[in-house]
Amino acid sequence: MLELERVSRHFGGVRAVDGLDLKVRDGEIVGLIGPNGSGKSTTVNLVTGLFSLTSGQIRFRGQDIAPLPTHMRLQGGIARTFQNIRLFGQLTVWQNLWVAQNSPADRAKRGFFSRWLGGQSGVRDEIVSLLEFSGLAHKQDELASNLAFGEQRRLELARAMATKPKLLLLDEPAAGMNSEEIGQLRERILKLRERGLTILLVEHVMELVMGVTDRIAVLNFGQKIAEGTPAEIQKDAAVRKAYLGGDAAAAEGGS
Amino acid sequence: MEFYFGLAQTIGIHTLLGLSAYIILLTGQMSLAQAAFYAIGAYVSGMLTVLWGWHIVPAMFAGAALGAAAAAAVGFPALRVKGLMLVIATLAFGEGVRLFFFNFDYQVQKGNIKVGPLGGEGFRQIRYFPENGWTSDEVMLFVWVFVILVMAMIWWFDRSRYGSVLRAVGDDELAAQSVGINLTAVKVSAMAIGGAVAGLAGSLYAHYTTHIEHLAFGVLQSVFAIAYPIIGGLASVFGTLAAVIFVQGFLVEGLRFLGDWRNLLFGLLIIVAMVVRPNGFLDGQMLRNFKRWFGIRSRNA
Amino acid sequence: MFDFIQAVLDGILFGTIYSLIGIGFTLVFGVMHKINMAYAAASIGAAYIGLVSASAMKAASAWVVFGCSLVAGGVLGFLVYLICFHLIPLRNENATLMSTVGMLLLADELISHATTGAPQNYPATLEDVMFRFGEMSMRGDLVVVFGVSVVCTAALLLLLYRTRLGLATRAVAQQPIAAQLCGMRVAQVNTLTFVITGVLGGIAGALICSAVGSLSILLTGPLTVKGLIVTVIGGLGSVPGAIVAGLLVGGLENVFQHFRGVTERDMYVMLLLFAFLIFRPGGIFAKGQGRD
Repeated sequence: MLELERVSRHFGGVRAVDGLDLKVRDGEIVGLIGPNGSGKSTTVNLVTGLFSLTSGQIRFRGQDIAPLPTHMRLQGGIARTFQNIRLFGQLTVWQNLWVAQNSPADRAKRGFFSRWLGGQSGVRDEIVSLLEFSGLAHKQDELASNLAFGEQRRLELARAMATKPKLLLLDEPAAGMNSEEIGQLRERILKLRERGLTILLVEHVMELVMGVTDRIAVLNFGQKIAEGTPAEIQKDAAVRKAYLGGDAAAAEGGS
Repeated sequence: MEFYFGLAQTIGIHTLLGLSAYIILLTGQMSLAQAAFYAIGAYVSGMLTVLWGWHIVPAMFAGAALGAAAAAAVGFPALRVKGLMLVIATLAFGEGVRLFFFNFDYQVQKGNIKVGPLGGEGFRQIRYFPENGWTSDEVMLFVWVFVILVMAMIWWFDRSRYGSVLRAVGDDELAAQSVGINLTAVKVSAMAIGGAVAGLAGSLYAHYTTHIEHLAFGVLQSVFAIAYPIIGGLASVFGTLAAVIFVQGFLVEGLRFLGDWRNLLFGLLIIVAMVVRPNGFLDGQMLRNFKRWFGIRSRNA
Repeated sequence: MFDFIQAVLDGILFGTIYSLIGIGFTLVFGVMHKINMAYAAASIGAAYIGLVSASAMKAASAWVVFGCSLVAGGVLGFLVYLICFHLIPLRNENATLMSTVGMLLLADELISHATTGAPQNYPATLEDVMFRFGEMSMRGDLVVVFGVSVVCTAALLLLLYRTRLGLATRAVAQQPIAAQLCGMRVAQVNTLTFVITGVLGGIAGALICSAVGSLSILLTGPLTVKGLIVTVIGGLGSVPGAIVAGLLVGGLENVFQHFRGVTERDMYVMLLLFAFLIFRPGGIFAKGQGRD
């Protein structure tokens, strides 16, 4: 599905991402973890095209997407959520989903002729089902900026889904959530996988990452220091040192 | 009566001018070149009817088309720059166009007089309406048919998905890109629509005043254009209309006894309006209140 | 050929005023990411207040007028900040920009009412003095303009790069939130920026009026547009850029005037701006794109 080959992005002297290799196969949920500033968000921005590559290659479904502008990549089937929620605050919940329907299939439905031939109806049904999926049906006419924090996160996920993605990039979706909400999020992510989505999950919250992912890649200083199943990663010495180090030491000190 | 016809026409034309800025403002861009598109519409349509004897309606559409083309042409390079840079770029473009018309001569002998634009002298004798025997109430009606058509069109845009897309881009460009919205297409199309509406307003203005000159298309006119929707609020096209009626009807005509001091009031009004209601008079909350009072339900409810 | 060099030379001397105005715009942008559209109008206003207060003191010397304009400029800068930025939520881009546009119109109208629309004679600094170098000559007052502008620019650069206040200003410009967390009072820095740019504007206003020989309402429009063009060409927020761009615009303006006449001159200046927007949107000293 997604292949990153020796991908680098430098900001001046800072190597935010440095020679990263990463493969996400169809239908997988891959976790991307690492300490703050290890290049996780930069990786998401490189895949979606908000940053350009310094070097390396990014292939999506076998096609080199480096030259494509952001909106083309998104129309091509990559969707994302943001670490700090970015909704369209002036728009209602409904409109937030409406403007996100930019997949080729939806664009065809909105074509001049299908508009008059009633092709629009499916578009509305999809919004309704997405609203139900994220439990926001009763808030559809509320302004997005008036939603509670958890609802905003759900809306952002629904908005990403409205683009009909094949690959979903979740940038710290559990940030600021309590453990009950994290549980619901886990359910939702697993449901998305059942729908055939491939997911790249960038996350700090181990509870979520360890629970849903098939594989985890660990970044530190822009480089991949480990990759494996959740169980392997938990045992990996390099990871413990780089990432869990502080926690592990604290835990030992406390016991 | 003539006076009120004149006032109604001014209000109509300024409403169009305000709406031309409104649609661009929805995408979060601020254009200070509206007077330039207005000027292009005025000169082009005026030349078509006076020099080449076109009917007014096709001449107006030609003016609108060229206004749109000019706006798209500004929109493209300006897309590389953001926000405040666009303000300056459009301001400079507007001044450039005004200076172009200041230097623009194209005169043709017609009967015993020469007609056509003559540099700083301006373009006199755009006498399509009197020559074809239109009465002033017919002219007013003609102007308002276009005002209502354009208002209805933009109101409809606003309710359609396109309107939501414009506002989405205005809200957060990055997020808009990230749901697959093509920023270039959205911004340039909004600029082009704004340019077309301004061009239309300009062609109505040229034929209604019969004499246009570069001074009428200065920065002040652009400021008027963006001030209407910003003072009126960006929640609905009616905010722009309300602002135009207030400024042209009350501030300019109603306070005529104040003479020159009215201009002073305009600057003051803008500042006070921004301090008191930074989101404009008819903001989202006000619009919802209105809807509730009049029992209008939103579409998806 | 000598005419041509002469034109360039005069243009560059005059261009220092554009630099001053450009610095004013660019400093405010750098610190607040806002454009103060009223800046040039307030500068001319300060020059007018300077003229009036100097004649009230029965001191018609150009230097007294300059001094008064300087003080008036600082006060006006403070007022503009208070009214257009302090009272309006800064997040609201449209409102803050629009309020300064309102202020521009207000200042414009106030000057035009105060002067009853007629140009006011403005004292020249070095009247009828010419410096000659063989075929070339330099108008004395333009040399003074150049000299004063250079001194002001140098003073500003010293202030920005050699004092604590300047350090704070630059810190706020680069990272407003971090600066706030480090205990800097952002509002205070913003206010001071407006006062400093106001002082610069007052001087620039007085300089341009004395170089032209009269103070007129017709100066504000072109000065606003030229100042903004200089700001963009120099790169928004770049002080060195504004200095160089001011000289560039001043010099080229006279070249255009030399070849195409005064009525077409400004049209080519606009084209110059567009060339920059297309080929170097970041300004003369643009660096590569940074993070975010």
